Amino acid sequence: MNPIQIIPHAADYVRILPELVLSVFGMIIMLIDPLLDDRRSRSLSGALALVGSLVAIIATWMQSQSPGLGFWNMVRVDSFSIFFHFLIASITAIVILMSYEYMSVQEIRGGEYYGLILFGACGMMLMSSAVELVLVFIALEISSISTYVLAGFRRRAAISAESSVKYFLLGSFATGFFLYGVALMFGATGSTTIDAIGNVLRSGHIPVLAYMAIAFMFVGLGFKVAAAPFHIWTPDVYEGAPSPVVAFMSTAPKAAVFAVLLRVLFEANAPGRIWLIWVTAALSMTLGNIGALVQDNVKRLLAYSSIAHAGYLLVAFAALPENGIPAAMFYTAAYAFTNIGAFAVVSHFGGAGERRVTMEDYAGLGKRSPLLAATLTLFLLSLIGIPMTAGFFAKFYVFSAAIKANLVGLTVIGFLNSAIAAYYYLRIIVVMYMREERDDSPVAPVPFALGMALALSLFATMYLGILPGRMLDYASSSVSDLVAPAMQTMPVQGIAQVH
Amino acid sequence: MTPHLHLWLIPLLPLAGAAINGFFGRRFSRQAVSTVALLFSGAAFAMALWVAGQFSSLTLPYIETLAPWMRAGSFQVDFAFYFDQLSLVMLMVVTGVGFLIHIYSVGYMWTEGGFYRFFTYLNLFMFFMLTLILASNYLLMFIGWEGVGLASYLLIGFFFLKDSAAAAGKKAFIVNRVGDFGFLIALFLLIKHFGSLNYADLAGSISPLHIETSAGLLTAIGILLMVGAAGKSAQIPLYVWLPDAMEGPTPVSALIHAATMVTAGVYMVSRSHVIFERAPIAMTVVAIIGTLTAFFAATIGITQTDIKKVLAYSTVSQLGYMFIGCGVGAFSAGIFHLMTHAFFKGLLFLAAGSVIHAVGGEQDMRKMGGLRTKIPWTFWTMTAGTFAIAGIPPLAGFFSKDEILWQASRVSMIYWAVGILTAFLTSFYMFRQWFMTFFGEYRGEQHGHGSHSHGSPGHDSHDNHGHGGVHESPAVMLAPLVILAILSVVGGWVGIGNRFENFLAPVFHSTATISADSFDAPSMSAEPKNEEAGKSTELLFTEISVGVGVLGFLLAWQLYYRRPELPAEIALKLNGLYHTVLHKYYVDEIYAAIIVKPLIAISTVVFWKGIDRGMIDATLDGSAEGAREVSDTMRHMQSGNIRSYAGWVAAGAACIIVFMTWMAVGTR
Amino acid sequence: MHLILFLIFGAVCVAGAVNLLLQHHPIDSALSLVVVMGALAAEYLLLGAEFVAAVQVIVYAGAIMVLFVFVIMLLNAGEEARSGGSRIAWVIGVPGMLLGGILMSWVLLKHSGTGQVEVGSLPGSPQDIGWLLFHDFLLPFEVTSILVLIAIMGAVVLASHAQSAEKKEG
Repeated sequence: MNPIQIIPHAADYVRILPELVLSVFGMIIMLIDPLLDDRRSRSLSGALALVGSLVAIIATWMQSQSPGLGFWNMVRVDSFSIFFHFLIASITAIVILMSYEYMSVQEIRGGEYYGLILFGACGMMLMSSAVELVLVFIALEISSISTYVLAGFRRRAAISAESSVKYFLLGSFATGFFLYGVALMFGATGSTTIDAIGNVLRSGHIPVLAYMAIAFMFVGLGFKVAAAPFHIWTPDVYEGAPSPVVAFMSTAPKAAVFAVLLRVLFEANAPGRIWLIWVTAALSMTLGNIGALVQDNVKRLLAYSSIAHAGYLLVAFAALPENGIPAAMFYTAAYAFTNIGAFAVVSHFGGAGERRVTMEDYAGLGKRSPLLAATLTLFLLSLIGIPMTAGFFAKFYVFSAAIKANLVGLTVIGFLNSAIAAYYYLRIIVVMYMREERDDSPVAPVPFALGMALALSLFATMYLGILPGRMLDYASSSVSDLVAPAMQTMPVQGIAQVH
Repeated sequence: MTPHLHLWLIPLLPLAGAAINGFFGRRFSRQAVSTVALLFSGAAFAMALWVAGQFSSLTLPYIETLAPWMRAGSFQVDFAFYFDQLSLVMLMVVTGVGFLIHIYSVGYMWTEGGFYRFFTYLNLFMFFMLTLILASNYLLMFIGWEGVGLASYLLIGFFFLKDSAAAAGKKAFIVNRVGDFGFLIALFLLIKHFGSLNYADLAGSISPLHIETSAGLLTAIGILLMVGAAGKSAQIPLYVWLPDAMEGPTPVSALIHAATMVTAGVYMVSRSHVIFERAPIAMTVVAIIGTLTAFFAATIGITQTDIKKVLAYSTVSQLGYMFIGCGVGAFSAGIFHLMTHAFFKGLLFLAAGSVIHAVGGEQDMRKMGGLRTKIPWTFWTMTAGTFAIAGIPPLAGFFSKDEILWQASRVSMIYWAVGILTAFLTSFYMFRQWFMTFFGEYRGEQHGHGSHSHGSPGHDSHDNHGHGGVHESPAVMLAPLVILAILSVVGGWVGIGNRFENFLAPVFHSTATISADSFDAPSMSAEPKNEEAGKSTELLFTEISVGVGVLGFLLAWQLYYRRPELPAEIALKLNGLYHTVLHKYYVDEIYAAIIVKPLIAISTVVFWKGIDRGMIDATLDGSAEGAREVSDTMRHMQSGNIRSYAGWVAAGAACIIVFMTWMAVGTR
Repeated sequence: MHLILFLIFGAVCVAGAVNLLLQHHPIDSALSLVVVMGALAAEYLLLGAEFVAAVQVIVYAGAIMVLFVFVIMLLNAGEEARSGGSRIAWVIGVPGMLLGGILMSWVLLKHSGTGQVEVGSLPGSPQDIGWLLFHDFLLPFEVTSILVLIAIMGAVVLASHAQSAEKKEG
């Protein structure tokens, strides 16, 4: 009926407003960076990046006022995407806050670093609102490449370069799987739009090819969230990469990939979802937790823990949509804030060159820096899943959803795992409070920006732990965005009808 | 006309105390810290007394909703408190005994480091415990449930420079996590099938259900709840943490590991009586676990020589009694025993603490003896506790234990027989302790001269008092002892003529009446016809249980007073058995061998040395390398483990893809 | 006839790819890659996608491969040191690949759930592609610019790190 729209409307741009904001700020940083010396480059581009991420939060809010599709069914702004936009923008802001100290201690120039973070965040946001697999792929690549490079930012540390190259090679390998999966899915359903795929898959006979396509796509996405059996890269990369970057890449890109997975698995009504998730979730939880038991390096330990958490989170993906989707969203947010906080402490305590990262280094931290130790303890308790912290309700919702879907076996595996997990998290706490310090060199005082980052993540962790209701409500409201979106789709020319 | 009770103040007062001491205690003097701690826990007790005073004017159950918490669809949980007769009993026990133990702790911990930290944790514990018992829904209860576990962890590990204390804290925590998962799955099942976690709603939706003659949903929920209770209340197979928890300071053992926290499981099972009453199989499981635990723990208690370990196993055993009570449907008897147990076991622990205090940190009973005259106050109060737990009338333990055994006998004589045997063992090991500690010759080293060898740092180290020799504790420690001793004597009298049972009857009978016609657990309603016969049987059973108590006393008297050389000879004769029991049936070792060691081995061998070789030589000093080394590393790496990593990813991918295809083909 | 040609080019393509892996000298590998790209272009042509075939030849076989060869020559890279490959790779990897290929083709042939169409009946003309690229897929197309930008940034960052490290050393 309507004449074909050739040029994007203003509304289309609103649908990608936060992404636009981030890329504009990223470019400004790149442009002014050459004009500044090292020190000013760090402070000014850091400040600009912070402003950028805050403006992106405002932009997200503006965007939330007018949900809908944009750019010919490429992106969709709905409460689901808004949730992840807020989450990614907040993570970015906190990471920028915690990076400042690290950058000056390690003498890293700011321009490229902050630029890459902003561009990366832009890609991640786009992943959460993209409803078309080609766009998902490009956004995924943006987010991945920026993290590959960021992982190599520890200058003068071969380990960092190694981690970067390792991540890059393996990551590209995995992305290949995803792309191949998209191609197979196009072959099976004749479309790359998630809604359209969902409609085809809902209507009757599902070819084996579609199952295979889902498996291929899952390999690519599972790699990015460090789910077993594609987790092998995680400890090395986390150990080598700069701590603030680890905080970033263990949270924001994962959140984005989980958003994509939610859309692919639920909105596209992926076949074989439960089999796939059952196996990978059980493997991730078990391998992650067992692997973490004897780690001596705290960064490696947290890397294994992040594998395990990916496993807990995946459990929600096997549940029914109406419980599983909110549970997964809540878990993503809870884990993000907790983990980012834990890495902020690790980053600060590591000091110049990140020398203090083993268990023995943490001995006596409770005495040397009681506040820092107490903060880390709270984050660890949240990772264990103690009530009054975000981690508790995250696990509560996930496993409650699993029980509702009759996934008793998976729940039991999950709970046994969380009992094992308590062991190694407690190890850190025990070491901090119950061992004599080995060296008593003073812990540097916490600078303001890092303090802000810690305070924000602590606040979020406790808030979600005490009053989880509002976020869960919001997450629940986005269920309908994923399970019944077909009617929202505007008529559009599929590839086959173009002329 | 129900007055507004402001129940929320009761848990919040100790929290405020914890906050003040936690944030500012470092700068406070000891006097100020103890004032704050006592003020706030005392205020909670006063508040509880006031609430008890209002009790008659309440319409029960009284529910106080503070604020909505979570609403997801029809599922709704609030910050709300629930108050009925059961809550009142628990409230009085927790605040009352808790307050007394706070007072005692001021004296006991006076010379220890971290004084403010101790009271912060103690008050924090009170907060969580009160939340647990006042919660109006299972979720809030679970918050308290985990919170007390956390506080217990902190307090067990209080002497944190001792490795064994840290290990014990960790063990307690992890074992409890195992129990918690049972609890949580039970909650999830409740949410799934009844859409609520509020006691009131659940009672409403479960009451109309029929009794499950075969295993069904309620049975599953009941057993899972029992798994949770077994973790917290140290029942088989999860009891292993409690004896180790004795690494904590003695007042903590008294408060948390005897009087309050460990009884949370009993409270939870009683609170869930609506579920259990309809799941006879789950009830049987509870009763069997209780019986086995009571018996096994008592046998271990016989061989222990550490004064606190004896009491720890005795606690496990007594908790077993409470679960027998619950398991045979006599919830009020279980709660009755919970209350009297809080009095006499709290007393026993505090008195034991006083003994340890007196002999300079020694806990080994073989190094005590003859303390009767040296610490008379402690001796007499401990005597009251010992006679109470041994079930000698008219002390408190007699009434509650007898009630449980009587109710148990009406369900199965096996429970009763094992219970009686346990009562005999209990009496024996308690009097053994009594004789070893207070009678005979003093076998320890004289203090004041010689080395301070037992007082390993932080281990109840009271040898830094400056005055040598065995000495009586200060009045601040004795006063709580005396009060608890009085309660241990008279506390059971409320049970005379079933007064206690009748008081709790509205809680436990209100829902069962609906299905009373089809429910045949004999304890739930009085049986009017056989009343006369029942009375005489009851009397006979009472005589037997008093008899075994006395028998235990006589045996202990014979073995540990008259002929102290005999026990060693007997131990020699029963060598194998003796050592099995002495080593607690090797349960810790078995758990270590089948669970802990394999996990660590897998983690070490497979992950650390196998797959996860880490960064190759990249642990070189991070500052020295230049571009050449970077590129060298990369070359090395590319030919090294990156290819095997890619291989792992590819293998994983292949497995997933083949698995999916296989499943997909299989379904058509 | 069509099918036979398709198979022949397919075989050439795969052979080129295998040769790429087996060659010892980077230049030989690069030249094998040219063969792969060329064969692919022929495959596109056979499927009725003339425009894509042309782009394949111009961009990949032409520009990109020339760049590759230049870079290799500039770096004056010698023969690779061979590590021989691990035994596991030969024992498990190669049969695994073959089995995977068989499984893949079996699913594609038997269970793809798709029908057959005439060659050239699907859109593939420059006009179609232009419409798709600048209308339906406008956003991905534009977003690709950010992708390219950060790829360049990444290259610069890694290169400058190595450079500054070298400076410090010398």
